[in-house]
Amino acid sequence: MMGQPALETAAETSPVMKVENLSVGVTGRAGIKPILADISFEVAPQSVLGIIGESGSGKTVLSRALVNWISPPLTITGGAVHYGGRDLLKLPQREVNALRGRELAYIGANPTSALDPTIPVGHQILEKLKAVSPGMDEATARERVIDTLDAVRIPSSKQRFDEYPFQFSGGMMQRALIVDALVSDPKLLIADNITQPLDVTVAAQILRLLRDLQQDFDTSIVFISSALGIVADIADDVLVLENGSIVEHQPVSALLRAPEHDYTRELIAKVPRIWQGAETPPAPSTGDIVLEVTDVARTYKVRDRNRLFAHKLVRAVRGVSFEVRKGENFGIIGESGCGKSTLSRLLSCLEAPDAGHIRFEGTDIATLKGKPLLELRRRFQLLLQDPYNAIAAHMSIGRTIAEPLLIHGLASGRALREKVEAAMSEVGLSTELYDQLPVGLSAGQRQRVNIARALVLEPELLILDETLSSLDQVEQAKLLELFEAIQKRRGITYIYISHDLAMVRRVCARIAVMYLGRVVELSDNEPMFAEAAHPYTRALLSAVPTVEDKPYATSDYLLEGEPPDPIDIPAGCSFRTRCPFAFDRCKTEDPRLGADDGAGHAAACHLAIGEMPKPHANTAGGPDER
Amino acid sequence: MSNPSVEVATQPNLAPAKRGAGVTRRMLKRAWGFTEMKVAAVVFATMMFLTIFGPYIIDASATQMNVSARFLPPIFMEGGQYPHFLGTDQLGRDLLLRSLIGLRNAFAIGLVSVIGMFVLGCAIGIYAGYRGGWVDVVLMRLTDVQMSIPVIILAITILGLSRPSPLTIILVLILASWPTYARVSRSVALAEREKEYVRAARILGASDLRIMIRHIAPSILPPIAFVAVLDIARMMIFEAIFGFIGIGIQPPTPTFGTIISSGTQYLLNAWWITVAPGVLLALALGSLNLMGGVLERARNQVLQGGE
Amino acid sequence: MAFAIEFFLRRISQGLVIVLLVAFVIFTLLRIVPGDPMRIILGPMASQTTLEETAKELGLRDPMLIQFGRFVGEVATGDLGRSYIRGVQGGSTGGSQDADGFDPESRASVAGLIANALPYSLMLAGLGIAFALLVAVPIGIAAGLNAGRWPDKIGLYTSSLFVSLPNIWVGVVLIFLLSAKTGWLPAIGYRGFEYTIIPAIVLAVELSPVMIRAISVSVAQNLGETFYSVGLVRGISRRDMIGKHVLRNAAVPLMNLFGAQMIGMLLGGLFVVEYIFSYPGIGMLTINAVFQRDFPIIQAVAILASAALVIINMLVDFASTLIDRRLKF
Repeated sequence: MMGQPALETAAETSPVMKVENLSVGVTGRAGIKPILADISFEVAPQSVLGIIGESGSGKTVLSRALVNWISPPLTITGGAVHYGGRDLLKLPQREVNALRGRELAYIGANPTSALDPTIPVGHQILEKLKAVSPGMDEATARERVIDTLDAVRIPSSKQRFDEYPFQFSGGMMQRALIVDALVSDPKLLIADNITQPLDVTVAAQILRLLRDLQQDFDTSIVFISSALGIVADIADDVLVLENGSIVEHQPVSALLRAPEHDYTRELIAKVPRIWQGAETPPAPSTGDIVLEVTDVARTYKVRDRNRLFAHKLVRAVRGVSFEVRKGENFGIIGESGCGKSTLSRLLSCLEAPDAGHIRFEGTDIATLKGKPLLELRRRFQLLLQDPYNAIAAHMSIGRTIAEPLLIHGLASGRALREKVEAAMSEVGLSTELYDQLPVGLSAGQRQRVNIARALVLEPELLILDETLSSLDQVEQAKLLELFEAIQKRRGITYIYISHDLAMVRRVCARIAVMYLGRVVELSDNEPMFAEAAHPYTRALLSAVPTVEDKPYATSDYLLEGEPPDPIDIPAGCSFRTRCPFAFDRCKTEDPRLGADDGAGHAAACHLAIGEMPKPHANTAGGPDER
Repeated sequence: MSNPSVEVATQPNLAPAKRGAGVTRRMLKRAWGFTEMKVAAVVFATMMFLTIFGPYIIDASATQMNVSARFLPPIFMEGGQYPHFLGTDQLGRDLLLRSLIGLRNAFAIGLVSVIGMFVLGCAIGIYAGYRGGWVDVVLMRLTDVQMSIPVIILAITILGLSRPSPLTIILVLILASWPTYARVSRSVALAEREKEYVRAARILGASDLRIMIRHIAPSILPPIAFVAVLDIARMMIFEAIFGFIGIGIQPPTPTFGTIISSGTQYLLNAWWITVAPGVLLALALGSLNLMGGVLERARNQVLQGGE
Repeated sequence: MAFAIEFFLRRISQGLVIVLLVAFVIFTLLRIVPGDPMRIILGPMASQTTLEETAKELGLRDPMLIQFGRFVGEVATGDLGRSYIRGVQGGSTGGSQDADGFDPESRASVAGLIANALPYSLMLAGLGIAFALLVAVPIGIAAGLNAGRWPDKIGLYTSSLFVSLPNIWVGVVLIFLLSAKTGWLPAIGYRGFEYTIIPAIVLAVELSPVMIRAISVSVAQNLGETFYSVGLVRGISRRDMIGKHVLRNAAVPLMNLFGAQMIGMLLGGLFVVEYIFSYPGIGMLTINAVFQRDFPIIQAVAILASAALVIINMLVDFASTLIDRRLKF
């Protein structure tokens, strides 16, 4: 993929697009503030140019400037974007429109809102195709769209053609938008952070798809992302964008091996390591069992549109069991739709399970009501993901943190203020913020308010439901240190619910992997990453975007398609429809989570570990050559 | 079953502000930047000033008959006389004063009834939305029932068959309009219930009542209250209609409805009896509604992330 | 199309319950307000004995629930009862010639009265809505497409002004300007189609501000949706994006508005406007019935009005789910 195409002619070597000294600013009260300064680069034919930048680096503005999609308050303050010998920025709108969607295609980060929600997906792609190639007749156009849907491996494309955007998952929608972009055979495709909202396994599929299609369709791609691991996976050359300027431009392998700019080095250092990290994973605790979850299940009813007065059952959690020991960090990981958020609701006693028990220090929490439940809530807290919505805007910070003390009647007057201030300093919030409203706090500070509010009750068990997902790497690291310090001081037990494998690798002693409402693998940290026992875990690990060598090759484990609908779970092993190793037994027999193998490792799979490809040896060391 | 998502959409942007209390301040600041806002505010303030202090300033009577001063035209027309700025009616009473008193009564009725329907409607709406289940179904079907009796039918039935007084008028208005508030607050509360801050409060152990009063109400009510202010204007119009039909506040207390209706008999020779109070009412309500319109635009701009 | 069947079964059964409850509320209300309907029926000259006898004959002394049950039974067979006052020949009997007893056959049937008045009201309502749409649709769409610019301002001014004018005042002023002063159009009563025009304008002034505001907000909102700007980048023209997508999406909340809010407003407006113009429709019939305490007419109108609202809302919601398939039903 790195090499240039074999046949080269003069026309094919001249760049598809040439950006010269492009500058963009935002008009504000104090005049124009620059966002992009002096950007220059070329896009070679049939190549993938990666652009990497953190949030706020101006990468989305850049990607939009490439299709002349800059609207007030943004303004182009200088430079040119040459395409086909003309400057796109100076072309009349009509001619830009003629290029867009035909020769220049753009795909954004938000697939679910990119199409009209009231019209079937296929019809909208058809509309676009007919708009950009007016001569085409209906039947040909329709066939073309369906063929392209097949090309991006959308199953049953004929039927999907007539389905609505809300019936598509994020990954399927992104595929549909790729179809939409490619159906007119564009010369250049601009992909702005297209994998960002997707789960790792789906993102990996999309990346591979894009790579294949780039060759089939002969298209150049500008691939913009904030994840170095992803850009490294697909791009030939990489641009590094920092604060609106290009600081480095190198072929991807050279960039990883020998970064020239400090900022690039910093970026590479920030990418979390899973296998070649320096830290040793935390060891499992031998303390008492604090939380015991046995065969918990939860099913929801939804109305069935196609049958009279009928309901469909959504089996969100299907028999989950695990135990958490005192002082331990327990991780629950899985992708969207695996049932982890339902499990979080069950664990935090917001809903009761339909079956099974959740016992906290021996008491079944579903049976509690009134006073005892209140007492349980004090000892058992949950931190939520979104730091913006979890605290109310109308309450002062001090009042917010005091709220649990008031609810539980634990303190009042002077003592209340003292306790709140103590909690604030413990999480690193200035006590001067006590009387302020949360307006203007950063995400990290808000999350600290959140943490202080939970800590003020002195809980024994803290569930962190994607608590750190919305924070950047630096802030995440700081809060993880904070959690560690609190754990040492108070002997708290944590349950991390997350989709972030790198974080779980770093902090959790024991890890449960969930798929379709089940725990498919339950293991101590080290054995799971070194030699995962379930093919799904391996698929997850193979798909993580990293810059290090992985023990699991993407080619061995890349999953096809999407997880089945929890309304319609396949018989036998629920993973078999996507498992690269499925055999006859998997169709009929549902594997249960096996007994612990003695090394703290159990999986729900008919295969023995030895029957899967052996993990690639991987010794510690820096990222090596591709 | 009626659909909450559609209902929210027909309302102005009622979603609670994402970025906190700063929104209200920024909205007001932005709204003040509109010329329309300043003009409307000045007009409205003048009207309010006049309704409160007018009777002390204008040297005339709103109720005293004066045969020698009947049918005087407004002061800017030929034959107009000081201090009758808008002229006099068929009994020689000062029209400006009568209109101002009518405006004051209408405003009082509008304000009290809107507060009433806001409190009642939102309390029921939040309760239904938060509790969900059969409580929600029953309460919402109740609003269906209430809403399928047109306001005017309800009003003329109750007021026409009983004795109209300010209190009964207010009660009728509340009775007729609470369902709107119940439905709007219910659909917002339903969405709020799933929000993280409510989950957070529940996990902290807060009781349902505490969550509804201390957490949900303060975050969803401000935008609804803002729509409610405009409803005062609507209620004042209803009051005028009731007066016109003869089921409003009874004479001799002046109301817009009765002034307009008595003027209809003298339209050809003394049109100002009918026209003058209407212009006054239109100025007061028009400025209020214009401010509302500007505020709504400012709010949308702020929510869309402008500075 | 199982969902359509289920939708209608569910909504019709819910609707029946609602109409039944409305009927009960109105029925009760009319029987607890002061004043004995027998006095109204028989007039002031009737003796106490005749009064009691007739009341028993008519079942007016039975427990209220039984009366209500009987009433519902009659309504179910299409019989809305007979007016207390209006004679078969039309016009009020004045309640005096029946001092010796009551002959229900001499009174006009409510269903007949309503059937006579309904076409007039429908014509007025139709014309009013047409006028309102004629004003509101262009202004609303232009305002929504040009948020912040002059069409938006025009929308803001017109809707703020129109919503602040009481229909009674607009009615009287228009009678004065268009009829009394200039003689362009006739106004009071009904002797031909032209009598509908001024009342319809008054209705339109009342309805249009709500429409303008709703249309402009909805169009502007959809213009701000991601799919619009993405559509332009995908290569679809602005005209197609607006014509085929923005307006389509904007229609969903609008339809709901027309169902839930507009019909209620329209009914209310119709009553008042008919009263101002002595226009012989349902509103006139009802307001007179209230003043004359002619209960059978009041309750029949209330029931029909709520049934109409329920049916219209049902159809509107169904149409919404057809346009936007995400909506549940």
